Amino acid sequence: MKELLQEIQQALADLLRSGLDAAGPTAADRLRRLADRCEDTGLHTGAALLTQLAGQLEARAHAIHKNDLPLTQTLCRLARYCELCEEKEQEQAILRRWREQQTGGAL
Amino acid sequence: MTLPQSLAAALAAADEAYLIGLSNKGTVNRAKKDLTALAAPQLQVEGQEAEVRMGDVVCRIRAPLGDSSCSCPSSGICRHRIAAILWLQGMSQDAPAPDTAPAALDFSGLRAVEPQKLARQLGARRLTELLEHRKAGEPVIRPGGSTITVELPWIPATVRLLEPLEHSSCSCHSQGLCMHKAQALLCWQLDQGLADPDALAALCPAQEGPDPETARQVCGEICRTLTAQLSTGLSRLPPETCETVERLAALAHTASLASLERALRALQEEYAACFARSAAFRDSGFLRRFSRAFQLAAAMEWADPPLLQALAGKFREDYLPAGRLELYLLGYRDVTGQSGYAGTIYYFWERGAKRFYTYSDLRPTFYEGSARRRTDAAPWGLPCTLRQAWKHALDLTNARANAEGGLSATTRCTGALLGELSPDAVVPSQALCTDFSVLLDQYSLPGAPEVERLALVLPARCEPQPYDRVRQTFSLRLLDSEGRDLWVEVRYKKQEQPVVETLERLARRLAGHPEQRPVFFGSVYREGDRLLLYPIEVFTEWEVQP
Repeated sequence: MKELLQEIQQALADLLRSGLDAAGPTAADRLRRLADRCEDTGLHTGAALLTQLAGQLEARAHAIHKNDLPLTQTLCRLARYCELCEEKEQEQAILRRWREQQTGGAL
Repeated sequence: MTLPQSLAAALAAADEAYLIGLSNKGTVNRAKKDLTALAAPQLQVEGQEAEVRMGDVVCRIRAPLGDSSCSCPSSGICRHRIAAILWLQGMSQDAPAPDTAPAALDFSGLRAVEPQKLARQLGARRLTELLEHRKAGEPVIRPGGSTITVELPWIPATVRLLEPLEHSSCSCHSQGLCMHKAQALLCWQLDQGLADPDALAALCPAQEGPDPETARQVCGEICRTLTAQLSTGLSRLPPETCETVERLAALAHTASLASLERALRALQEEYAACFARSAAFRDSGFLRRFSRAFQLAAAMEWADPPLLQALAGKFREDYLPAGRLELYLLGYRDVTGQSGYAGTIYYFWERGAKRFYTYSDLRPTFYEGSARRRTDAAPWGLPCTLRQAWKHALDLTNARANAEGGLSATTRCTGALLGELSPDAVVPSQALCTDFSVLLDQYSLPGAPEVERLALVLPARCEPQPYDRVRQTFSLRLLDSEGRDLWVEVRYKKQEQPVVETLERLARRLAGHPEQRPVFFGSVYREGDRLLLYPIEVFTEWEVQP
């Protein structure tokens, strides 16, 4: 899950770096693929947000008058979601490590 | 000669305390002295007032006595008027008793003043301060027959409330209804149950904080600008974007949106690092700060006033009265600058509430490059520096602290040094953390302030690690009784050299005596899949009470 979260964050950071104007259809495809992986991992909110963002990116390409505010909101919400997931994942990783040490010690 | 009934009643009700309240103790004493040396004054009653001629001076005494006048140029209640009142009182005692006995003062005039009116006069900030001081039991109210003396030690001011209110006196010598009189009267009304503290507290937030309309406009502008930056992309943005974000931060400051200003300044730092091609720039950090600033602005744009105030935060944390604190100096650490400040942070254990407090002795370094060399802090009138007070108990009176447990160096707070004590005699064994899962749950929340991450840790055993020459890091592995580990890690830097040397000495000692269980005091944090402790102090002689 840690790698997946990092990939999502990297995808969002790439969007920030390239800008929405330069983000081609490949960006939306990348987000949809990540959404599928999120769904498989059990991150349903993450999958929904990624799908929404991908949809907004695709719709933007066909709009004459672009309103990027909702898209920015989704992107920022997704970034925050990833942060919270990372915090939870880190806590789980520490607990997992402790469990492994305890079972390793018992063996 | 018979005095008018209203004047006779006022004279009968006015005891010495009342006269002192009208003027002051010195004036009353002087008037008494004058009266003994005075030739017989001449009295003439005209309508509802008595004209008393004493030599060259003519006083017109009327009820209420504070409305009396004198031919001398004094604007306040002069010694002549007090002498005339005393003389009239003496004369009334010689005369036959009046038909009606003087009624006991019920301070109806003081009761009639609306608390909301006083609250409006004080303003939200002073009202909040007053309610906090009252909660701390600071105002001293002494009813004394015809006067009510209220001491406000945090100002400091002494107010004598009289009937009617206009004749009350204050140590600031104000003739009108000054802030001190308003605070004193409100204290008395609260004490008498005439005002509801909850209702008054409810008045406070509504009067302070950002204006919703201005906040809406500013937040809308910030959201639009950040969206435009996202549309363009970081790689195509000009370096002037830094100034744009700084202007947005200034806008947020003008609109009293403290947290948004901080978020935008953090974002501006990211932009500056990116345009300067700094090696410290990270995409993940930029994403985090960008989303934080945007989300905050978006949330505040349409927030209702209470939520807006909560989200907006404060520019400066207020130091509120904490009363008497029984402190014990557990440790201190020197900090230097990435934040632009350098100095020492002192860490205290409060014996009463069993919690941590800190005192920060920090100075800015961004003007001079480094903090000027200076002497150690010795706040609160202590007879020694705080460094010298390490492992000493000290009691603070009239202490002030902010919400995060940071102590103020206010001169109103006085400290008494009690003597050196062993930490195990001060800190109860229940405060020692022996279960590291508790540290993970309660002391290591990401983003929590340092005071909430402070812990005293008693490990079941310690495992010194070899010094990591690649990462230049000293490590010590602590284990609890269940085998959970906590890592003490210090990366070598010039300013961390004493810490590393202390830990190395400890590691050598532990290698020889593995049964020893020192107590570690420090702040807990998470890194990767490990729980870590930054050490502030290590106690090797801690005797754990069963």
